[in-house]
Amino acid sequence: MFNKETRLEKFKDAETIIGASIKVKGNFQGQGDIIIEGSLEGSLKTDANLFIGEKAKVVANIESRDSVINGEVKGNIKAKGYLALGGTARIFGDIQYNELSIEKGAIINGQLLMLAEEHRHNENRKVEEKKESIEE
Amino acid sequence: MHVYIYDEYLNKPKYNRAINRLEIRLTDLGLNGKIIRLGGIKNIKATIQNEIKLGAKTIIAVGNNQTINKIIGAIIDTEIYGDFQKKTLLGLVPIGDDNSIASSFGIKNVDEACNILLARRVEKIDLGLVGNYYFLNQASIQSAGTTIEIDDYTLEITERGEVRIINLLSDQAEKIKSNPHDGKLDVLIRTRKKDESIITVKKLKLSNPQEKLIIDGVFEIETPVEIGIMSDKVNVIVGKDRMFE
Repeated sequence: MFNKETRLEKFKDAETIIGASIKVKGNFQGQGDIIIEGSLEGSLKTDANLFIGEKAKVVANIESRDSVINGEVKGNIKAKGYLALGGTARIFGDIQYNELSIEKGAIINGQLLMLAEEHRHNENRKVEEKKESIEE
Repeated sequence: MHVYIYDEYLNKPKYNRAINRLEIRLTDLGLNGKIIRLGGIKNIKATIQNEIKLGAKTIIAVGNNQTINKIIGAIIDTEIYGDFQKKTLLGLVPIGDDNSIASSFGIKNVDEACNILLARRVEKIDLGLVGNYYFLNQASIQSAGTTIEIDDYTLEITERGEVRIINLLSDQAEKIKSNPHDGKLDVLIRTRKKDESIITVKKLKLSNPQEKLIIDGVFEIETPVEIGIMSDKVNVIVGKDRMFE
């Protein structure tokens, strides 16, 4: 099941494909699924899903719904849904995720923070602050 | 009233047979109209605009991609465009080579073109805009050395291949789904290393100091240029085998 998710088939109707010969520089934003096989420098954001290929090099903060990463990312990653790191993934940055899977061989240099946990923590803090203000 | 605009190159003897066939077929179907031969006319724009003012219901380009481009150039962004959009349709009869635009509209030959004119199936089509030029199909340029600026980012391409900015597909074998009524252009980059990139945009700026941009296989222009899209600009009579929905 994990191998299927690291592959490209899920993204066959991707709206945007950046091939291996392309270099992107700047703030890249899309609404649909994105496939990156080339290089990208700047920032990368989509409301949908993201696939980063094995030979891709991304130097950017990334934000998406589900992400499948098999290449190199230097930057922070925020996956509001599912994040799958393939065996060739090399991540240098912090990762925020809702669900996570990591294949053997993936390299991560950064912190891992579950978004659902962070949301629960923030909600608890708001309740505490409200209680304190009522007591006062 | 139908107005048939015959391109200049159709005066050559090798096209006589095709023209005769066309005129007989139009008579059989009751689609006769006025014929204007561009070869003998100095001011093409004024001639076409005059026909629209006189109430032409259909302007039919008889020729190839260049013929359609001449007609569109004579109408779009002129004082006559409002009348054209409300009252006049654009038809096509492909004769000769360089007829990718007719193919995109599902019009393969003279006989089919006549049947399609009779059926009068109409689609509103976007128009690509490059400087003072318009394109129905695509603008293309060699990829090596091309830089594309889109919104807040830039694409740099170093490999040899082709960049195509597509409004309307002309090749059914292409995997991308191009839609000529979505108000967007599809940028397709294909390099010799066989990798492919696809991005959908509303406008972009393109530059390449060494190569020229080719518009609908007809015109060549220098870069840098800004390329955009004009939505629902032309009402075209199309065939049922057109390359879009």
